[in-house]
Amino acid sequence: MQKYEKLEKIGEGTYGTVFKAKNRETLEIVALKRVRLDDDDEGVPSSALREICLLKELKHKNVVRLHDVVHSERKLTLVFEYCDQDLKKYFDACNGEIDADVVKSLMCQLLRGIAFCHSNNVLHRDLKPQNLLINKNGELKLADFGLARAFGFPVRFYSAEVVTLWYRPPDVLFGAKMYSTSIDMWSAGCIFAELANAGRPLFPGNDDDDQLKRIFKLLGTPTEDSWPSLTQLPNYRPFPMYHVNTTWQQVVPKLNSKGRDLLQKLLVCYPPDRLSAEDSLQHPYFGDSSPGPK
Amino acid sequence: MAGNFWASSHYQQWVIDRQDLCRERQHDMKHLTEEEYQKVMILFANVIQALGEHLKFRQQVIATATVYFKRFYARNSLKCIDPWLMAPTCVFLASKVEEYGVLSNNRLITTCQNIVKNKFGHAFSGEYPYRIQHVMECEFYLLEMMDCCLIMYHPYRPLTKFCADIGSEMELLPVAWRMINDSLRTDIPLLYPPYLIALACLHLASIVKQKDIKTWCAELSVDNDKVMEITKTMVSLYEMWKIYDEKKEIQPILTKMPKPSPSRPPSETPTMQDANSQQQQQQQNQQLPSGGV
Ligand SMILES: Nc1ncnc2c1ncn2[C@@H]1O[C@H](COP(=O)(O)OP(=O)(O)OP(=O)(O)O)[C@@H](O)[C@H]1O
Ligand SMILES: [Mg+2]
Repeated sequence: MQKYEKLEKIGEGTYGTVFKAKNRETLEIVALKRVRLDDDDEGVPSSALREICLLKELKHKNVVRLHDVVHSERKLTLVFEYCDQDLKKYFDACNGEIDADVVKSLMCQLLRGIAFCHSNNVLHRDLKPQNLLINKNGELKLADFGLARAFGFPVRFYSAEVVTLWYRPPDVLFGAKMYSTSIDMWSAGCIFAELANAGRPLFPGNDDDDQLKRIFKLLGTPTEDSWPSLTQLPNYRPFPMYHVNTTWQQVVPKLNSKGRDLLQKLLVCYPPDRLSAEDSLQHPYFGDSSPGPK
Repeated sequence: MAGNFWASSHYQQWVIDRQDLCRERQHDMKHLTEEEYQKVMILFANVIQALGEHLKFRQQVIATATVYFKRFYARNSLKCIDPWLMAPTCVFLASKVEEYGVLSNNRLITTCQNIVKNKFGHAFSGEYPYRIQHVMECEFYLLEMMDCCLIMYHPYRPLTKFCADIGSEMELLPVAWRMINDSLRTDIPLLYPPYLIALACLHLASIVKQKDIKTWCAELSVDNDKVMEITKTMVSLYEMWKIYDEKKEIQPILTKMPKPSPSRPPSETPTMQDANSQQQQQQQNQQLPSGGV
């Protein structure tokens, strides 16, 4: 670890601390994520393993780059490209104002990162502003693949405990164990609305029930008609039939009509009907001005 | 993960040249003949298979663990780390990577103890000596040695696709599938990309089942020489198996096998250092595309 000079602490993760550091030879600024190998009984934590092995394969402009993994005595250090801030901090600093073009550009990059992961059969499973990094050039990168997993071969059980509550889709809230790429598309929808509202979260629920109520109040309570086999989900429980009395214009007043259309196609309760990342990128919302080269 | 194989760490770092493999094995070849070395590898592939089956893992997880094992000894002498420790470690790591539920540590070690006693008594006498701390320490070296390349592409998926394409899921698929499992007893997974292995096994299966797939094969544009090499290696494996009796023959081979010095705990063995220095050398030889640091 002589190679790096630690500069400052930038975050505290679940399995270790994140530092800003400088490579002494190249002077390149990097982010170091230290993985503690406690003498617990897991060995290298599986979240760290997942992050390492997936990022080793995923190389894309909109996915944070894992430069190296340094092994030293009883520690692992992940060396990442450095980004200036995460989207949460960006929101905190934006004073309630984000330019419409910036919203479009960030959303487009988010979708490109997701589309790339999905085309490599990787689900992120924990998309939220804290896990999206933004660098000085306004480039957005997916980070924190600690909950991500590769899919493909039939997998029986996925853990139901994924995705931070506010960005968690209704199927997962009802305990669905078989989910697919649609899980990330719901989170992308929530983040899109939050971008459009300059950092005001769309569904800031307090617990599972409150989370579902907030969702159904905006989208209407799903029924077996709109969502086949809904009542079969492991943790299904009935909710009141809410009248939808908020318009999308009220929800995201600053977003244009094409953007509102895209948002509605992402925030669909019935998972198979959610728009995919690839299709979202073809949506007319991105048509009228080029959000930058692919 | 079924992403782009050509951009994967599997293809870019872990499809090894046969000459490289021979060079890395020189040390062990002072103690063992080529065939004896292969028999050692077969033994431990069997140990991993038995462990995986006892723990009720899918074949995919077992295959991943087996290839981890091969990767480690492709770059290290058998004396670096005792293969009896490396085998469960590979299973431990593969089960985490493939996210196959949580494997309780007690279960891993107990299963090891049972299997060694009940199934591999011909190869191992006495109590199984390792504990979970040894496995975790070994995991760390394994991870470093593989340069954290943990995602593996196996021939099962391309095979399934080919069989669907030919329309022979019932007849050829199960036969070729078993042949892929057998290929894990050879160096094949280290030497060739998975789709070529799948093709070779399919080819062999079509001979066994006397089903003509020549027209289908003719339409593929693949490196036929490579497919033939794989086929030959498989055939010689089957030839050897006909006359090989592991229960009788493995003990004297294991006696000759180079071993780590047993007197020190693994954490302080200088042989671990060996593993490290070899690793560094390898890293120098092979600059990672992501480089930069
Ligand atoms: N490459 C990076 N550049 C700049 N900041 C980073 C980088 N990686 C992580 N961070 C910062 O550190 C925080 C924690 O990192 P990360 O999300 O990867 O850890 P984690 O263990 O998954 O934490 P949690 O589970 O709490 O989300 C991020 O929210 C971000 O603010
Ligand atoms: Mg995080």
